[in-house]
Amino acid sequence: MKKNFELIEKYFSNSLSDEEQIVFNNLLKNDPAFKEEFLFQKDLKKALSHNQRSSLKTTLQKFENNLEKEKVFPLRKWLAAASIVLVLGLSYFLLSDSFNSSSEKLYAEYFEPYRNVVHPIVRGENGNNIESSAFLAYENRKFYKAINLFNSVSNKEDEYIRFYSAMCHLGLNDNLEAINLLLPIATNETNDNSDLNFKEKANWYLGLAYLNSGDINKAISQFSVVANNPEKSYKKEEAQEILDKLDF
Amino acid sequence: MFTLLHMTGVTSHNTLELLKKGDNATLQRIYEDNRNVFINFSKRYNISKNDAVDIYQDAIIALHENAVNGKINSLNSSVSTYLFAIGKNKIFQLLRKNKTVDLNQNITIESTNEILDVNFYEDKPTKRQNLIIENLKRLGKRCVEVLKLFYYQGFNLDEITKILNYSSKEVLKSQKSRCIKQLKKIIND
Repeated sequence: MKKNFELIEKYFSNSLSDEEQIVFNNLLKNDPAFKEEFLFQKDLKKALSHNQRSSLKTTLQKFENNLEKEKVFPLRKWLAAASIVLVLGLSYFLLSDSFNSSSEKLYAEYFEPYRNVVHPIVRGENGNNIESSAFLAYENRKFYKAINLFNSVSNKEDEYIRFYSAMCHLGLNDNLEAINLLLPIATNETNDNSDLNFKEKANWYLGLAYLNSGDINKAISQFSVVANNPEKSYKKEEAQEILDKLDF
Repeated sequence: MFTLLHMTGVTSHNTLELLKKGDNATLQRIYEDNRNVFINFSKRYNISKNDAVDIYQDAIIALHENAVNGKINSLNSSVSTYLFAIGKNKIFQLLRKNKTVDLNQNITIESTNEILDVNFYEDKPTKRQNLIIENLKRLGKRCVEVLKLFYYQGFNLDEITKILNYSSKEVLKSQKSRCIKQLKKIIND
């Protein structure tokens, strides 16, 4: 029996001779105990392989996860991406800076505080000294003083007060406040053709305010509104000039 | 067509030796060197990426197993060619199983000189095999080591005597039969 079991050992070591193989086959056919021992060891081999495959599969899955992780956040690619971002950021910074300076130049070239069309009207009237003082300050380009005075008049919500106040803010490069003041005027739907309708002017100055603040897209759309006005309108030609200069 | 595929250029014999020794770094290098090429290759068969990765891993396991148990001692071609041969066969097995292809199509499984023993997941473990799988861990560490070397890695008793520093082959032999007896006892209890 012990000798027979050695044949099983040799089988698993792939070292059965031709004669041993014949004996082995005969035993397998005729000796149930031998067959059972052989089958058990075969099952043992399978079980060991199975365990080995499972642990190997786990190892391979770890390799796979590493690769996936690298795909999401590969250090080398990440660094490359970071350097691109840096270059883009720098060039954006430099470009937008030069863009800003060119838009600022344009603004300086075209901005002129709107002439005082109100003052002559109020001049003849007595009693509104604050308002006339405000316009006097405005005409003298004393914008801080003018703003304070405009804020002090009783009718400070009137459109023309707001408009000239916006002029002062623009004169002080306070674009944000100018835009806040101009927007409602520019979008006002009332239509009167008097000198005190500031809608068209507001559109023009709104464009300048966007230009000065470096918001080129909004400036372009604002100047387009002015330039595409079907009527012969305020600063229509200048708006087109600016659009041409902005390469739009 | 395999000649068109990426070759790692490793000396296969050396690689197989390292695999047989259970060298994980070698395994990882083979895995990473061939993975993307294989996944891309599998795309033409319209199988999901998960299936492709699964098949690729099984091909690696088959390679590892055949290297470890000595079924392949040297490859006529590179490791990647061997991997692709196994992987391709497994892809066709999957396609046949899913019946997504007309089998009269001219899909030919390329025959190679190498052993393409890829069916190991087809035969699920029997009840007794499962019992052994579950109870192997209840054996001593030394037992598992001896059994693994003999049945899985295919070393003969003379080799294992040397590897595990047994005083003689006879000592190892009785150790091995004790381990098997113990295992049988655990299972039959």
